[in-house]
Amino acid sequence: MAFNVTEVLEIPIGVGDITVERILYFAVILMVGVIIAKVVATNVRRVLAERLPKNERELLTKLVYYIIVVWAFVVALPQLNFDLSGLLVAGGIAGLVIGFASQSVVSNLISGLFLMFEHPIRIGDNINVADVSGSVEDVRVLSTVIKTYDGIYIRIPNEKVFTSNITNYVHNAARRFTYEICIRYQDDADAAIRIAKGVIETHPFALKSPAPSVFVDNLGDDGVNLTAYIWAPARNWWDVRTDLLWKIKQALEENGIEMPFPQRTVWFADGPEAKGGSAEKNE
Amino acid sequence: METGSVDGLLTYRRRCEGQTFERILVSDTGEVIINPVEPVNLPKDITNFLLMEFSPMVIEPGTSRTVYLKFPVEIGVFIESARDIEVLDVFGLGTQKYTLYGSPTTGIIARWYRSAVYPEIPAVEAFREGVMELSIHNASHEWVEVSTAVFESVDMKIYYDDLVASSATMKILSPNLAETDFIDAPLRPGMTKSVELYAARKVPVINRGYLMEWGY
Repeated sequence: MAFNVTEVLEIPIGVGDITVERILYFAVILMVGVIIAKVVATNVRRVLAERLPKNERELLTKLVYYIIVVWAFVVALPQLNFDLSGLLVAGGIAGLVIGFASQSVVSNLISGLFLMFEHPIRIGDNINVADVSGSVEDVRVLSTVIKTYDGIYIRIPNEKVFTSNITNYVHNAARRFTYEICIRYQDDADAAIRIAKGVIETHPFALKSPAPSVFVDNLGDDGVNLTAYIWAPARNWWDVRTDLLWKIKQALEENGIEMPFPQRTVWFADGPEAKGGSAEKNE
Repeated sequence: METGSVDGLLTYRRRCEGQTFERILVSDTGEVIINPVEPVNLPKDITNFLLMEFSPMVIEPGTSRTVYLKFPVEIGVFIESARDIEVLDVFGLGTQKYTLYGSPTTGIIARWYRSAVYPEIPAVEAFREGVMELSIHNASHEWVEVSTAVFESVDMKIYYDDLVASSATMKILSPNLAETDFIDAPLRPGMTKSVELYAARKVPVINRGYLMEWGY
């Protein structure tokens, strides 16, 4: 039995007069559209690589990609005898049905658009949202991808991101961090403050202004508690924070100022011998 | 700084203040260019801005004055071929310090440097400091006190011979607003123009100056 391709292509699939050939045409047009979209998007990304920030670049690339895909879809639809003008009539009812059915999708989509244009978060930012901390890998149309600090991929629906409290650790140009430093009561707190400020001064990214502040915060059980407030560029604050504390501690010790161990001074009302003395008498 | 062959591979090596930087070069025709670059790259490239703090000057409305400041020098090493030029290394002597200009919310991080104000070109320490010719014009209708100038280093033009130099302008617009810009001209005839780091990094340069919105 001879296999005739033409006959196979003309087999109706049972929906109107749509044939296998038309289905294939539809798929090919769509596929070509997706390929064109990928090629164009890749080139747009490449051309804009050094001209636009990553966030805007990715947004524009995605926009170009989806416009081309939608265009290919619209071009391909007539192959399925789909009259687009019919959408105007059917659109209302279908829209209502689809709207109810895809509430969460639409909600995520709208939230995604707001996130993209409002910019509370950008790609690369360190954030905390919906109890997830990490850096933003991507802000997609329906979801936001976060890479946690231990390298785990987490996808959060945009609606959840949009309605949650977003803590963006690097949104502002500078941020402040704090050290608590305890010194012994017999040490000179003024000297300790001067030494700590000197160490902070040597670090390039411990900002000159707002100036660092080191002061006696309170008189603790074990020693005098100093507090240091240091401002650093928001994107480098962790490096500064991890770099300075040990240097301050070393500089203090080199100048004879030490961190006290926890200690408790106990005073006996009748002197330390009172208890022992009475015990001896009891014996 | 030296280039040499290590195990048959061309190697660039630089030692500066106890730090060593080394790269293997794969090149047939490439040339190495060394010149001073915009001083906002060390110890790490985090900003494009340079904030110069100097002795306060009180300026009469409508008055102009040219003064000289010292600015920090960083040295850039470029490798150039017929098709492209690329930054290989940036190093410098001395320390760096950064600051915030403006508020933490909307301000900018800038490289900080303090200088005295000189009426003539001052003597500078070679490889550490350069001379900036700053023309200040008070276009406002009030007496103003100026002690800070912020520059966007993307626009910076540096010339050198035995002296590293740059020329800039600062126009006071109102009691809190000023505009700074660089002039593309040598401080004295015969100076060589530096390869600009930001041009080498292919960032499009738009000569627009910088508007200081948080005071001076």
